[in-house]
Amino acid sequence: MLTREHAIADYEGGKVLPDRLTRLAHAHYVRYAERMLRIYRLGVGQTRRELHRAVAHVFAAEDDCPARRIEAFTKLLDDKSEYERDRRGKAAALRRKVFRLAASRHPLVRRGERLFGRPEAEVKSEIAARLERAWDEIDGELFADVIEFQRLARFEGYADGPALLARYNVAQVQAALFDAESMTVWAGGDFKTILRYAKLARLMHTITRRGQGQYVFRFDGPASVLRATRRYGAAMARFLPALLACRDWRMHALVRVRRRGWAASLDLSSNDGLTSHLPPPEEFDSAVEASFVAKWGPEPREGWRLVREGEVLFSRQKVFVPDFVFRHEDGCSVLMEIVGFWTPEYLEAKAATLREFRDHRILLAVARPAQSAGHPVYLPDGPAAMPELPAETIPYRTALRIKDVLERLGQRRG
Amino acid sequence: MPDDVVKLAFSAGTLVLEGVSRQGLADIFGEGGWVWDRRVEAWRCDAIAYAAASDRLRQSGSRWLDGVPAWQPVRWPRLALHPLREEQQAAVAAWTAARHGTVVMPTGTGKTEVALAIMAQTALATLVVAPVRDLMYQWQRRILDGLGYDAGIIGDNVFNVHPVSVTTYDSACIHMERLGNRFGLVVFDECHHLPGAIRRDAARMSAAPMRLGLTATLQRSDGRHADLAELIGPTLFEMPVSAAAGRSLADYHVVRIPVHLSAEEESRYRELSRQLRDYMVDRRKTDPHYDWEDLCAESGKTPEARRAMRAYFAKKAIEDRAEEKLRVLEDLFQLHVGEPCLVFAGSNAMARDVSRRFLVPCLLSHCGKKERLDVLRGLEDGTYPALVANRVLDEGVDLPEVKVAVVLGGTASSRQAKQRLGRVLRKSGNAKAVLYEVVSAGTNEEKRSRQRRKSDAYQGTRHRRL
Repeated sequence: MLTREHAIADYEGGKVLPDRLTRLAHAHYVRYAERMLRIYRLGVGQTRRELHRAVAHVFAAEDDCPARRIEAFTKLLDDKSEYERDRRGKAAALRRKVFRLAASRHPLVRRGERLFGRPEAEVKSEIAARLERAWDEIDGELFADVIEFQRLARFEGYADGPALLARYNVAQVQAALFDAESMTVWAGGDFKTILRYAKLARLMHTITRRGQGQYVFRFDGPASVLRATRRYGAAMARFLPALLACRDWRMHALVRVRRRGWAASLDLSSNDGLTSHLPPPEEFDSAVEASFVAKWGPEPREGWRLVREGEVLFSRQKVFVPDFVFRHEDGCSVLMEIVGFWTPEYLEAKAATLREFRDHRILLAVARPAQSAGHPVYLPDGPAAMPELPAETIPYRTALRIKDVLERLGQRRG
Repeated sequence: MPDDVVKLAFSAGTLVLEGVSRQGLADIFGEGGWVWDRRVEAWRCDAIAYAAASDRLRQSGSRWLDGVPAWQPVRWPRLALHPLREEQQAAVAAWTAARHGTVVMPTGTGKTEVALAIMAQTALATLVVAPVRDLMYQWQRRILDGLGYDAGIIGDNVFNVHPVSVTTYDSACIHMERLGNRFGLVVFDECHHLPGAIRRDAARMSAAPMRLGLTATLQRSDGRHADLAELIGPTLFEMPVSAAAGRSLADYHVVRIPVHLSAEEESRYRELSRQLRDYMVDRRKTDPHYDWEDLCAESGKTPEARRAMRAYFAKKAIEDRAEEKLRVLEDLFQLHVGEPCLVFAGSNAMARDVSRRFLVPCLLSHCGKKERLDVLRGLEDGTYPALVANRVLDEGVDLPEVKVAVVLGGTASSRQAKQRLGRVLRKSGNAKAVLYEVVSAGTNEEKRSRQRRKSDAYQGTRHRRL
């Protein structure tokens, strides 16, 4: 990620427009990006300063490139690099040796005829002789542990020029989010991924249902209720790549423009063409789900339409997105959660979740594990093995049968 | 909700109160303070309110569960504190009577000893917040020496939380949401750093009922020092600089040495100044309030602004690194041969230049703990004749007694000047200390030096020109 020092943004009509390199206006940047990648790929053994200078040199003739953008590129390149670190304190040991040898000759003076002090050149060559090395070599290593003088050891890199530019565009949005006070996401799907990553970023949510399959998530942090604070902006920035990997959403963030003090809005949607470095969310959690959906097909059965992760249940900061929702044409709906491989602890946690949301009609499809020697086997229908489940369960062996599900759905309606 | 159990908990730097109705809240706490948080269906406020809130709940006589304090008493393995001087005792007594508030003492008058004495008597899980990493390590050392306790370190890529820990402001404001209920006493060293917009979270997100602020000056140029009363507590004790001088501190001279740029540097400096000025004048024709920040913002868009910005930095570089300064430094080193000498360089690059030119150790951010110790001890015992630093030593870093200091660059504010001076002017017999300010003549740096001397820390000192 970039830091605030790399952020470039325009403010127009109350909107924040983070710096963005587009195929149209910045076609030639692909070439620059390739050159920068080449500098790093061939740059093993060079110092950070040399690499940064080489990168700056790429843009020497470019009028449309602020210094911050170049620094941002070097930061993104450095993020994927490993530099040699002077772990054993070689440079520090050398300094100690040299400074101690020089101490008795202090001060080193330019010309020798002064009353006190010794000529600089003479002292330096004496020390070089003592250490049996050339002075220039010593001088070059004296501060080898300073960050700018560290040498590149490995460069993991980006796939190609466009990948680096894509990362840059996302990184600038993230940098703009550092000053965000709140973030609102209107989502039409991938609720589970969105909420899971928001939680991982330690954001708090406020959820509003907006009709069938539409939710509004407002994200901020604990202290946000006390005052507008940019404290959670970094968390929102961390969360952004996960959101970008999802489908069908738009996002609005309230950003406090620091020096002016006013708020501006940062708006983004899944149609803006920003690409995440994260893969899109997995379509299904398990093969059982995938095969069930395939067998059910797109058409309604007995009036029930099958929708994947279509409802979000929430209570305070607890969230539960059941795997499926069955929506009947008469408006009634039933939720279903599939539990494949499980342990008693897992099932207990699931039970706690179901108790929290006991006001909802939820079916629980639970796998019966096959008998296997040497391992304790918990049979879902065994008396001691199965925790009390506060939901109607449908046991299954290898695949969940449509007939069983439809039967329960029928009972449920009645 | 009369049947609910009243529960007070610490939650990410805030307090969460459950089981109290709106009416109940008003009865216990009166107006204000708590905000209803529908995200968790409970009342919420800043963790800093813990001392007051728990008092009110106790007075209310209602049954409540206090889930906040996770701090414990601490046993000090080995107390080895120096006896306190009279004014230090007065500072400890003033704090002990109030248990939260700030003690103002000039640098060099033993603030750390006051804090250690307070920690020793409080014997509670304590977090010490210091401005920079060097000071954090220094506190760790002082706690080990004085209280025999090996304090945990939070910061500098370490997250090692012990009942007694040391940290920096930057780490504290990030981590306090997780640590805010683990320390009963928080010591804010150089606490004028605390009221920054985000940094203040280091105080706001802590539930510690006991707070000690330490500083040589309460002043902040943005006027936010007033907020310290809210974040730490009232000013409990104040020792003016003038009271310290001549008692704990030595007398000192300030000698300003203007240096002239080389002919080449000067013509380049003039050219850069002209570029920058022309640009600003031009922009101010259309926007009279056009300033530095606007320039930064615009340098992303127009090549002209970019050139102006480059000119600014090139100008600064010339001010910082004037060759002549190295020549002056050579003279000063010769003048004070045999006396340990401290040099503040103003930039990392200049500090390294000085170090490479004179082969004297420098203290920069890349230096490890071991090297720092070697360098500081080495200056004290005469192993090294001089030491150069950028600004790492700006505040409070314990230095050996030095009577000669040279400031080669760096910007001035009255606080910085006070602290730098305080550092140089250690009590050391009858010998007078000297602070040399080497500034480039005819540049902005010279203006800053004049500004510096207006600060009250310089009052009563003698100014000479070489």
